[in-house]
Amino acid sequence: MLNREQALALVLRRLAALGRELGKPDLEQADASTRLFGENAALDSIGLVTLIADLEEDIRVATGKTVTLADEKAMSRLTSPFRRVDLLAEYVVEVTK
Amino acid sequence: MNKDEGKNNRHEAGKATFIEWTPPAAGQPREVELVMMAPPVRRLVALITGSSQGLGRALAERLLSEGWTVHGFARGPQDLTHAAFTAHAVDVTDEAAVRSAVGSVAEAGRIDLLVNNAGAASMNALLLTPGSVAEQLMRVNYLGTFHCLQAVGKVMVRQRAGRIINLTTVAVPLSLEGEAAYVASKAAVEALTQVAAKELASSGVVVTAVGFGPVDTKLTRAVPKAALAKINAAIGRPEGTTMAQAVDFLLAHSRSALAGKVEYLGHVL
Repeated sequence: MLNREQALALVLRRLAALGRELGKPDLEQADASTRLFGENAALDSIGLVTLIADLEEDIRVATGKTVTLADEKAMSRLTSPFRRVDLLAEYVVEVTK
Repeated sequence: MNKDEGKNNRHEAGKATFIEWTPPAAGQPREVELVMMAPPVRRLVALITGSSQGLGRALAERLLSEGWTVHGFARGPQDLTHAAFTAHAVDVTDEAAVRSAVGSVAEAGRIDLLVNNAGAASMNALLLTPGSVAEQLMRVNYLGTFHCLQAVGKVMVRQRAGRIINLTTVAVPLSLEGEAAYVASKAAVEALTQVAAKELASSGVVVTAVGFGPVDTKLTRAVPKAALAKINAAIGRPEGTTMAQAVDFLLAHSRSALAGKVEYLGHVL
């Protein structure tokens, strides 16, 4: 199980790594309010998919749990957990409980 | 002088040998040694579905003989024994089982190649084909491919590399009569291949499809010879296709096919 701070750190660390890989330095300055997709967002759809795939592995390494972040439960929410960094971190806490 | 300084120290890592250079301390004479150094070689890892028999099994045997590590998914028991082969009892239509088995393969290391070979076929006139048969073919051929592609695709996206080959059939471009449900399920596999190729290409994952006419197996030996001859003639292979030819073609395809390519063995427009 991860608490909110740990989950947030996990997401931000992975975003920063992705930013270095994709040549998007803005991602290294991301914070809890950073928009992940949509208008003026940090990632395109492929970038978001890559982030989710990488995060699932990060969670497995950190907790020993194999989780699926982009499942029907996540997709059917009124507020997508993938919209902002803080929402994603909260969702990570939820799925690792 | 430290005993390790100024020397090439050999290390064994599996079968590969690598050499580490420790510089000599200041003022000490240098020992010069010329060595032939082989780069460390990592065994490539393949995951093959439907590996208990037919093309899947033949492909597994070929890759093992070429030094690959192979993981085989099949519903039933697998009697292939090799130190580098791991059998997994997995029904590819079971999403949770596929995820779990792929997870266990990925934990052991990378996955370089996925061959979605597991499939089912049925020949029947369209108007006589039970809906349950059409549903089952779609589940095994399309959904099975979908589940494995999705689970392994995530692993390969994390690796930023990998190749996925989906099995289709010449029956799709031939719009073969008497195989409507089978053709439709494989057409879905081809469409899935082309969309997946676009979505995964930027992550270094190449997705393609390869299709054959009737390959000489126990299954096709039960099909009337006239029916096989008609298909083989239509694709310009009157002698048919042996298992060895199919494996050769698939491996050649795996080395050269560009993302999204759907390639058939035979002359198919």
